Amino acid sequence: MSSGTFAVLGLFSDAHKIVEAAQQIRPRQLGRLEAYTPYPVHGLDRAIGLAPSRLGRLVMLMGVIGAGLALLFEGWVSAVDYPLVTSGKPLFSWQAFVPVMFEVTVLFATFTAGLAMLFAFNKLPFFGHPVLHSKAIKSITRDKLALSIEATSATFDAETARQALLQNGAESVEIVPVPVWNRPLSLVGLLRTIAGIVAACAVAGAGLFALEKLIPIVPPMVHMHEQPKLNAFRVSSFFADGRGMRPAVTGTVARGHLPPAFATPEEAGTLLGNPLPLTQPIAERGRKVFNDHCAICHGLVGDGVPLLSHAYGGKPGNFLSNEIRARPDGHYFGVLMLGKNAMPSYAADLDNHDRWAAVHYIRILQRAQNAKDEDL
Amino acid sequence: MSPVSPRSSLVRNLLVALTLVGAAGTAGVYVSASRERFWVNWLVWTLFLLTLGLGNLFLVALERLVSAHWSVPMRRVPERIASLIPLAIVLLLIAFFGVPVIFPWTYPAVAHNPILVAKTAWLNLPFFAVRFAVCAVVWMLFYRFYVRGSLRQDENKDPAFTVRARRLAPAFMVVFFFSVTILAFDWISGLEPEWYSDMFGVYLFAGTFISGIAAMLVGVLSLMRRGRLPEVQTKHVYNLGTLGLAFTVFFAYIGFAQYLLIWYANLPEEVIWFKHRIDGAWQPVALLLPLLHFFIPFFLLIGALGKKHPATLRVAALSILLGHFVDLYWLVFPVLGPTPLFGWPELSMACFFLGLGLLQIRRAMGRGADIPVSDPLLSRGLEWQL
Repeated sequence: MSSGTFAVLGLFSDAHKIVEAAQQIRPRQLGRLEAYTPYPVHGLDRAIGLAPSRLGRLVMLMGVIGAGLALLFEGWVSAVDYPLVTSGKPLFSWQAFVPVMFEVTVLFATFTAGLAMLFAFNKLPFFGHPVLHSKAIKSITRDKLALSIEATSATFDAETARQALLQNGAESVEIVPVPVWNRPLSLVGLLRTIAGIVAACAVAGAGLFALEKLIPIVPPMVHMHEQPKLNAFRVSSFFADGRGMRPAVTGTVARGHLPPAFATPEEAGTLLGNPLPLTQPIAERGRKVFNDHCAICHGLVGDGVPLLSHAYGGKPGNFLSNEIRARPDGHYFGVLMLGKNAMPSYAADLDNHDRWAAVHYIRILQRAQNAKDEDL
Repeated sequence: MSPVSPRSSLVRNLLVALTLVGAAGTAGVYVSASRERFWVNWLVWTLFLLTLGLGNLFLVALERLVSAHWSVPMRRVPERIASLIPLAIVLLLIAFFGVPVIFPWTYPAVAHNPILVAKTAWLNLPFFAVRFAVCAVVWMLFYRFYVRGSLRQDENKDPAFTVRARRLAPAFMVVFFFSVTILAFDWISGLEPEWYSDMFGVYLFAGTFISGIAAMLVGVLSLMRRGRLPEVQTKHVYNLGTLGLAFTVFFAYIGFAQYLLIWYANLPEEVIWFKHRIDGAWQPVALLLPLLHFFIPFFLLIGALGKKHPATLRVAALSILLGHFVDLYWLVFPVLGPTPLFGWPELSMACFFLGLGLLQIRRAMGRGADIPVSDPLLSRGLEWQL
């Protein structure tokens, strides 16, 4: 039950003959020539008039796009979106980007080559080529070579094509009809496909689970986790004292935490002055430090009324009192470093910059509560 | 030898004139310029000729190793270019006079440099000479074995030589890699003995191989243009171009890998070598190197059409050869100072060495038939299809 001729197929058993036949038939323009051979035949592509593939140019284009995208992405990540200096290198270090650019180039190029070859140039998905339904297909996949003249033009005549093939040495000729297609997608077929994919995933997952967990023949890849390394808070046999975490070398000073050169707040008051200029950002920093660390006891305005309940019972200093107001800046700094009465030392919680900023803010609070006429 | 045409003898006379002018210039350099400059020039050009010769000997042995068919009809060309090896060995022997001038590990001041003192077990003149002698002897033995043997096979038609040549090829591969590594460490990185890079031997090997392919391409194309290789077709040259493309990428890969690792680690004793070569006045030369050695040949050779087009292939090959010279210049010349020197001393010594090398190849081109007529693989090489 055919609705016409798809192609006329001539069978050859000699590779040289099929090339010659193709060269003879092609100028007659009977229809598009195609060849089916069980092994590659040199020169046959030119003989049937196959143009050089455009795949190469496409692969080149996508490779260049891949390299460019990788460069843009890495440059944007490292220099724009999350600028982080790594081992003193410039943010846009093209040298470090090259390996990734190379990989992305290869990725784009190979995917383009594979997918474009299958779907654009080989016209997949294409279930069942008409030649697969021919009687000759068994011998084509074994030892015969076939040349087909496809019915691509309106003037195509099967008898002329048959004669042309026979005259040029074809051993036998078959007329391949256009096959009647079944509906390619049926509900049963679709369900069967989905069930197959689910079954494959289940088998793969169960197999992997069995091999890695139940019978651990294939251990999971944990080399990076298991490498010899020092863990903080863990015992280590590497050092003589058995500790993984190393104590700081004697005399180590953290940045911004120079040890005090005074023994009491009174001494600090005579030795030190506030080195920070009173500027808007410093005053705001001081307010933040004060509200975070000082206000809980000394009150938001520094009046010594705690934010805590009265059950706390302490008597924090009142910054607005004349006695405390009269103390020099260095004294405040000294108290922050050393602590006073119930107040603990803030040496570890704040750095020098924040301490001096807080002192500035305390002075602002004092002045706000004792404003003179010219301040208004 | 093919009958001497008037054009052929004109070319010969021109080459002799070029060499003589170059020789006069070279003598002038020795008298008037600094000794360091003279010997550094001498070293660069000797290494240029030697690596071209070794690269072509390697191509011959590689063909023997894998029993390749496609390159058999063209094999006489690399065999003849390999004749640069004896010439370059003589030139390198002369360069021994320059060793105390340009190699810092020979200076008396070494005694005060703890790094160089620690390296004296390797960097001392007797051992240096022994290493060179062993390499030279090995190269000459293999050169004579492969080139003379191939020529002798033309006459005695002995197929057993082909089998012998294949059996010996693995041994050549091993000694070749060792000897090129020694060549690179001794004669190039020895100029700055405090620097080291494990990859440097592979780097010189990659340059040797790709410039060997380029020289073979130029040789094959010029013989084809003179009609001396009528049996060699586009498909053969195409395949040689493919090999050239592959090893252009290999060279770029090795060169960049060496740079990337040293750049990343940023160790002062390693990175200073690159800093001298890519900063300041050397930057244009450093940029010229990837351009000539990678980008131009890569984009010329990547398409199928380029590899079938003789003029494109020739441009790519000449770009690689020029790039190889720039490479050696860039490796060696920075020892003279922070500015690249290129003036009449460089030009006249270039004339001298290029003239010598071309005359040597020309002389070799006259020896034996242009294709290995009695090689048992020749017919398969001629019938070979892409």
